[in-house]
Amino acid sequence: MVKNITVFTSNTCAYCQMVKKYLGAKGMTYEEVNIDEHPHRQAEAMKMSGATTVPVTVVTKGDDSKEVVVGYNLAKLAPALV
Amino acid sequence: MGDSKSIPEHDVIIVGAGPAALTAAIYTTREDIETLLFERGVVGGLAAVTDKIDNYPGFPNGVEGLKLAGELQKQAERFGAKIELGEVSAIEDQNEWKLLKTTDGDKKARAVLIATGSDYKKIGVPGEEEFYARGVHYCATCDGAFYRDKRLVVVGGGNSAFQEAIFLTRFASHIDLLVRSTVKASDVLEDEMQKFVKEGKVTIHLGTATDEVVGEEGKGVTKVMGTQDGKKVEFLADGVFVFVGLKPNSQFVAESKIELDDIGFIKTNPDLETAIPGVFAAGDIRSGATMQIASAAGEGATAALKIREYLEGRPHPVQN
Repeated sequence: MVKNITVFTSNTCAYCQMVKKYLGAKGMTYEEVNIDEHPHRQAEAMKMSGATTVPVTVVTKGDDSKEVVVGYNLAKLAPALV
Repeated sequence: MGDSKSIPEHDVIIVGAGPAALTAAIYTTREDIETLLFERGVVGGLAAVTDKIDNYPGFPNGVEGLKLAGELQKQAERFGAKIELGEVSAIEDQNEWKLLKTTDGDKKARAVLIATGSDYKKIGVPGEEEFYARGVHYCATCDGAFYRDKRLVVVGGGNSAFQEAIFLTRFASHIDLLVRSTVKASDVLEDEMQKFVKEGKVTIHLGTATDEVVGEEGKGVTKVMGTQDGKKVEFLADGVFVFVGLKPNSQFVAESKIELDDIGFIKTNPDLETAIPGVFAAGDIRSGATMQIASAAGEGATAALKIREYLEGRPHPVQN
């Protein structure tokens, strides 16, 4: 069960739009952290993902475990939302 | 393939949702031809991840790729096109029906348009795979923001490399642009780039091959090794952005009767029809395409009209 979702994005990132579109289509609510608007949170995205890229989707489960999906990767994102 | 009676049927399935696909969908749906698009990546294709498009007609000041993609999508959806996020893995010719295997199960269409475009090629050097998304990138508009006040290397000498390097100047402290042979970018982009060269923000290295991306675990990329005039050279870098050409997204038709050229682009006849009757191809995926967004849109329109002709010549098949 999904407790909450955070999506790290940037203003110009097309793949970020796709993640948001996918979550929207699935009826999932999420917090968006735009690293252009909140550059101080960029390090948080890097720490969670180990990558210098967006989108990064952090899915927190009911038991507070986290699944991190780097990029727009439906093969990983879809099962993470279950 | 499962029970054929339960397989959803469509008039047209378009594989891809870039400019060729979306333009075709505008044309088919305006003619009340029911149309479903399948996109495995970004709606808008490579155009959507391009910072600025300066040569698409109707935009005297240029247009952001993401904005153009969004407008094309809205226009296609306004006439009833449906876009599904998923992937097509195979196409099978069943005469009046074309069977598509997709991540959403099997689907049938009376006609199919393949408009899957291309993706950026990799250089194929040591370190490239290892540091992917941790210092090696193929999307400046996605990942450029991580390199504020950092040194970058951009690899490539064509329009994409120049356009994206210009975009990255808004973040990077300095960019070394490694061009394997000579510059292939347009004069307009080259002129724009000269402004940054004069400012000392960009250094262009002609005749420079990229040999290796070097980095450290936990730190990411530290430098790029290359060869210039037969001598080893190195460039300090926190990140590398690669734009060295395009590879066709045609793997999913490899087992079908569709013919590919030596590189993997889809061969068509002058009506944009492939070796399978009723299966068409348009845009960057088509052998001989000019790799321009305006051309892709034009081919999308042509393909839609040819699909209409194809469907008009055939009675609606009855499901078995």
